[in-house]
Amino acid sequence: MPAEINRIVTLAPNVTEIVYALGIENKLVGDTNECNTPPAAKSKPHVGEPQSPSIEAILALHPDLVLATDAINRVDTADALQHLGIAVYTMAGDTQTVLHILDSMARVAELTGAEPQGSDLVANLRSRLDALHARLQDRPMAHVLFVVWEDPLITIGQNTFIADALRWASAESVILSKQNWPQIGIEEVVRLQPDYIVFANGHGETAATELAELRTRPVWRDLDAVELGHVINLNEEAIRPSPGLVDAIEQLARAVHPEAFAANAENLSPRSGARRTSPLSMKTNAECDPCAR
Amino acid sequence: MTTAETTTAARPLANARSVAPRLKVEQATYTHAADRSAPQFTLGPVTFEAQQHELVAVLGPNASGKSTLLTLLAGLNKPFSGRIEIDGTEVGQLDLRLRAQRIAFVQQESELLFPLRVWEYVLQGRYPHGRRLRFESEQDCLLAGNALAQVGADAFRERRMDQLSGGEKQRVILARALAQQPSLLLLDEPTQHLDIGGKVELLRRLRRLAENNRYTVLVVTHELDLAAEFCDRVVLLHKGKCLRVGAPAEVYDRALLEEVFEAPLEVEMRANGRPRVILHER
Amino acid sequence: MRPLTPRRVALICAALGGVLFIAVVISLRMGAYPISIPEIVMTLVNRFIGRRNEIPPDFWNVVYEIRLPRIALGILVGAALSTAGAGFQALLRNPLADPYVLGVSSGAALGAIISLAVAPQTPGLIQIAAFAGAAGTIAAVYFLGRRGGQVDSATLLLAGIVAVSFLSAVIMFLMTTLPGHEFRGMAFWLMGDLATQPAISSRWLYLLLIIGVGSIYTTSSDLNLILTGEQEARHLGVNVNRVKLVVYVAASLLTGLAVSVSGAIGYVGLLVPHLMRMMFGSDYRLLIPASALGGAILIVVADLLARVVVAPTELPVGAMTALVGAPVFIYLMRRSVR
Repeated sequence: MPAEINRIVTLAPNVTEIVYALGIENKLVGDTNECNTPPAAKSKPHVGEPQSPSIEAILALHPDLVLATDAINRVDTADALQHLGIAVYTMAGDTQTVLHILDSMARVAELTGAEPQGSDLVANLRSRLDALHARLQDRPMAHVLFVVWEDPLITIGQNTFIADALRWASAESVILSKQNWPQIGIEEVVRLQPDYIVFANGHGETAATELAELRTRPVWRDLDAVELGHVINLNEEAIRPSPGLVDAIEQLARAVHPEAFAANAENLSPRSGARRTSPLSMKTNAECDPCAR
Repeated sequence: MTTAETTTAARPLANARSVAPRLKVEQATYTHAADRSAPQFTLGPVTFEAQQHELVAVLGPNASGKSTLLTLLAGLNKPFSGRIEIDGTEVGQLDLRLRAQRIAFVQQESELLFPLRVWEYVLQGRYPHGRRLRFESEQDCLLAGNALAQVGADAFRERRMDQLSGGEKQRVILARALAQQPSLLLLDEPTQHLDIGGKVELLRRLRRLAENNRYTVLVVTHELDLAAEFCDRVVLLHKGKCLRVGAPAEVYDRALLEEVFEAPLEVEMRANGRPRVILHER
Repeated sequence: MRPLTPRRVALICAALGGVLFIAVVISLRMGAYPISIPEIVMTLVNRFIGRRNEIPPDFWNVVYEIRLPRIALGILVGAALSTAGAGFQALLRNPLADPYVLGVSSGAALGAIISLAVAPQTPGLIQIAAFAGAAGTIAAVYFLGRRGGQVDSATLLLAGIVAVSFLSAVIMFLMTTLPGHEFRGMAFWLMGDLATQPAISSRWLYLLLIIGVGSIYTTSSDLNLILTGEQEARHLGVNVNRVKLVVYVAASLLTGLAVSVSGAIGYVGLLVPHLMRMMFGSDYRLLIPASALGGAILIVVADLLARVVVAPTELPVGAMTALVGAPVFIYLMRRSVR
């Protein structure tokens, strides 16, 4: 590993986000063609897909450090790069807690000589989480179903970072599974009747579209959560092990425990470093307009 | 059959003592164990001899043991007792290649997976005469060409096997066997799918091959007339037993044939010394 | 009457070798890293005339660590699969046979999955486990496919089909019940992927290739005869049982070798022998070396396309052989029907 890191290549969207959040995007010389957050990342040179980047393209960029995550990238890629003498840091992915993710960000900051920005970022995110925790202390856990994929119906396991994120929002998945991405039957959902159904495939639209579609689907339309309109659609970029995850946690908490936020609406403090330019929008039909941000 | 009569006058059998027999079968027996499809079947003991230039028929109705005897002669099975010798050597002792150099088995049909030309097919008959992985020499080509000429297939040597008629294909299959330059040619019911013209043509050809070259040709058949007309020697089998061996005139006894073939028959001796069998419905 | 001569075999192999050489040269030239032909030549030459130090490290990496190994692997896999395909087509008396029909690749995939589930980060383990899975399947199918102690083509084919179904079911079961994220690599492996270098040195792999192809080649005269009928071949002095066993073992091992290092690349083992047959006839004394070279050419070209078609993304090479192979195969089928 070189002493000074001046040229970084990232191999996954969430890693790219972290680099921008740390404010060191001037050192970013290449990312993948799926790195779309923030939009500026799209104009960096691309090295291919996260799953099959071109080793030669990476080599041609002469990086000092390549950042990957084992949630998306293949071991073979990291091996091949290290074989060529390129330093690779692989963040742990799927089975992380939110606090581990913060640690990873700190580690990346450390590796790239951005300790000050790193500790600022981590402190900021941590304080937001702590504030949220305080606010939600007395709330009962909401029971949600987090839908990763609709057909076949895939949800999250207990050990995933999403499950941990839910816990920070005082929510928990109705499905308890040791597998990371368990495939379940709709019958199980009917039996368990979650309070909220959470999707993560929005791009700034409202949940109304998703809800309307569910209201036409057999079995789904008879679920309590759908009848009550308790359907939440998060931005798909939010559900990644990245700074945006904390935004998503906050938004989810507001939707699932609205009574905890009734008093004041400025819980979000500005983050240090580059700001995300696409605001997360997330509404439920139960939320009234004056309460919207 | 008048033209046939003049060319196939019975020849006296070669004196067995003065020339060593090409093929010698001595008290050979074989038993098929009983299984679900058939009861136990025992063949033998069978004893007979055959010389060079001879055309021999193994004659008998269905399930008489003809095919079993053929497998013994071809070396596919070893006799349980007795001996089968070719040119003085026991057939079972020969390794695969040597056996293929001496004995050629002419199949009835040939199902080719990929199209071959006639000459390629016949050239394969030279396989026993070289190393395992080999490329054919000029002499191989010469001998294959001769074999083609002997069966009159030279005209279509460049055609593909799947473009031939049934009769043409059979000639080519025979040519491949001839290319092996064997001492003994074995054929299993070769006239099965031929019409009467084809049958006669084939037997004539076999007879000519036996006479002109030094082959011993052995044909398994149930065609009484053809065996009588063309063969020098007949081995009569019935239910696994070898009943009689000899020239057709000696073997074709009416009572015997009626019992073996279970049909009302009459046997007539003709001028050329060969018997003729007539179906006699009373 | 123009029988096949060693000279003709040599000439055709030389011609195919020339085509392979050209494919290799083009493949060496193409890639994301900007390096010109003179620079490539310089890198190649300097290594062998003792001027290794003068080669810039990047050039060295691109030529010797990235492109050449990948091309060499492609040649190995292409030759192995095509020869195995030709062998199986003769053994099973079925022109539609491909190297995977007897379950070798399914066994390898199972071995790979088990190794990913048990010890995902161990380098080289997946390949060893894949080869072990392949070898186990070869033995099992052989014993299932015997009849009267001998290799019977029809029974063997049935045994292979059963093996494929059974192993696929087990693989499906494992993939849905085991924790999922280690299997990301499986998708690439199942489609065929030349990007991962094998843990074992190529020297040994090439040795195995030569042994496998050589063994099958020694039976090529026998195979020509067996293709006109097993009984006929026996009567001509061919030791049919021994030949079938040799071909079975050699072709299966070649398949196992290829699948272990690069996953199940499809269509090569089925198509290349047919293409070579159409061009050069079905004499196995020529077909075996021609298939080996033809397969190498096909894989090198397919991998080249896989690398450049949607650069910088790299497609798995198996996707390319399927995209190119399927239409060619349909064309061949229609031609033969006519």
